[in-house]
Amino acid sequence: MSAGGWIAMLLAVGSTTGLFAWCLWRVLRRPPGR
Amino acid sequence: MQTWTSRLGVILAVTGSAVGLGNFLKFPGQLATYGGGFLIPYFVALLVIGLPLAWVEWTLGRQGGARGVNSVPGIVLALTGRRRLSALSAVAPLIPLMIYCYYVIIEAWCLGYALRYLGGGFGFAEPARYGEHFAAYVGLGADGGMVSQPGLLAILGLCLAGNLAVIWLGVSRGIERVCTWAMPLLVLCALAIVVRVLTLAPVEGRTVLDALGAVWNPERSLTLADGSMRTVTLAQTLANPDAWLAAAGQIFFTLSLGMGVLITYASYMKRDDDVALSSLTACAGNEFCEVALGGMLSIPAAFLFFGSAVLISVPGLFGLGFVSLPNVFDRMPGGAAWGFCFFLLLFLAAITSSLSMLQPAVAFLEEGLGLTRRGAVAAIGLLTLPGIALAAWLSHGFTALDTLDFWMGNLAILVCALVICIVFAWMLGTRAGLAELRRGAEIPVPGLLGPVLRWITPAFLLVVLGAFLAKELSGGGRIAALADWRVALPFAYLAGCTLLAVALGFAAQRRLQARLDGGRP
Repeated sequence: MSAGGWIAMLLAVGSTTGLFAWCLWRVLRRPPGR
Repeated sequence: MQTWTSRLGVILAVTGSAVGLGNFLKFPGQLATYGGGFLIPYFVALLVIGLPLAWVEWTLGRQGGARGVNSVPGIVLALTGRRRLSALSAVAPLIPLMIYCYYVIIEAWCLGYALRYLGGGFGFAEPARYGEHFAAYVGLGADGGMVSQPGLLAILGLCLAGNLAVIWLGVSRGIERVCTWAMPLLVLCALAIVVRVLTLAPVEGRTVLDALGAVWNPERSLTLADGSMRTVTLAQTLANPDAWLAAAGQIFFTLSLGMGVLITYASYMKRDDDVALSSLTACAGNEFCEVALGGMLSIPAAFLFFGSAVLISVPGLFGLGFVSLPNVFDRMPGGAAWGFCFFLLLFLAAITSSLSMLQPAVAFLEEGLGLTRRGAVAAIGLLTLPGIALAAWLSHGFTALDTLDFWMGNLAILVCALVICIVFAWMLGTRAGLAELRRGAEIPVPGLLGPVLRWITPAFLLVVLGAFLAKELSGGGRIAALADWRVALPFAYLAGCTLLAVALGFAAQRRLQARLDGGRP
């Protein structure tokens, strides 16, 4: 895999995973019923 | 009045609607075709079309639900007061219903393959046998090939009954409950397969890193069969209009936009529930499944076993899923278990999507025509039966499936999304729309969203629609094909259903108005 491939993969996989994890954390930290 | 029982429930249901076969088969195929540079148009389309339109649909849905209506025609009438527009918008619930006609068949293939792996897999010695088996299984070579297989018909019947039963149970007891266990199971299956693919031993000198490079490298050179070289560079990808069109289309279809599904699902939320963060979470969940899981899974596995042949001629959605990957699984240690895991994953992705395709029509029949839930479910079961029969019977070259997919699965949802965007940004106004979106929002909504929705998103959609029409209708191939009765029959079915939907839309106006006025008809 080339350097460009590493950059594309890490940025794409990292950003989508990070965003999803952050959103889930924001949703789940609210008490149920909100 | 139906509502979601939890916020996570609605998020999982919307994510389940969005995550489908395209996440695990189509997206990696496009990445392999255009190279890692494809991610730039892909994420631009996500920001310009995907997230803004998802926010619009969630907002319109919750706003309509607060007025006591859940169907797209009811919500259009509640928000615009225009009866003709409301009647015409009855086409929106029809779009996912028509897509369901062929989607449920693919769902049955996935379940059929999963059961086959549960029984030990295929184990063909010759790689060509996988393609031959799939062609015979789905009737690709001759009409009626699929309907002559009792096993597959039984599985299809099971899928149809399962979908209708879950819808009959309702939003919280049916859809929410299924998605609450199906989505985590889907992610677990995908994660397990990704770990397996990433730990595979080298095959004929090709390592896992080579396989990942096949998907993610922005630049690559391939030696074709005639000895010539085909080079793909980042600059070429970015200058290629097809890559931009493919990226916009992928974002559009992967997020279930333009079908009225998100509007209907969001209408079951409470008036002050947050939609900004919930919508973002559902989109992020879909992107995680598509990019982080889908991108690491099918093409890397196929490349590892078959080399650059996979990149020279990237297999289509069906070719990759039902021919290349079964071939790969049967060559892996413990392949039957991994094959079962993969097709279970596809089946879960398909059923959580197909459930969402039925709910908009059920909501419309219930509140527009006054049918009971049981009556509405029976009506959509009867209405979709001819479409399913056509898609199963006219299987040679996937004629009926392709016809339904082109007119409803591509063209109609693009037009519908454009109309939704115009209604929100131009008829209701972005100022009022953004104020509604911000009500109960748990994340800040950027003010830039207003001009984006008013100018950039509709312009982008118009360009995509124009490019799509120019590509598909140039030369008149699509129109000329209607002279063939095998294309004309499914098209006539679509046209008849569309006329019926509009007629029902007009017939439903009095009842919808009475519902909005607070008096049950």
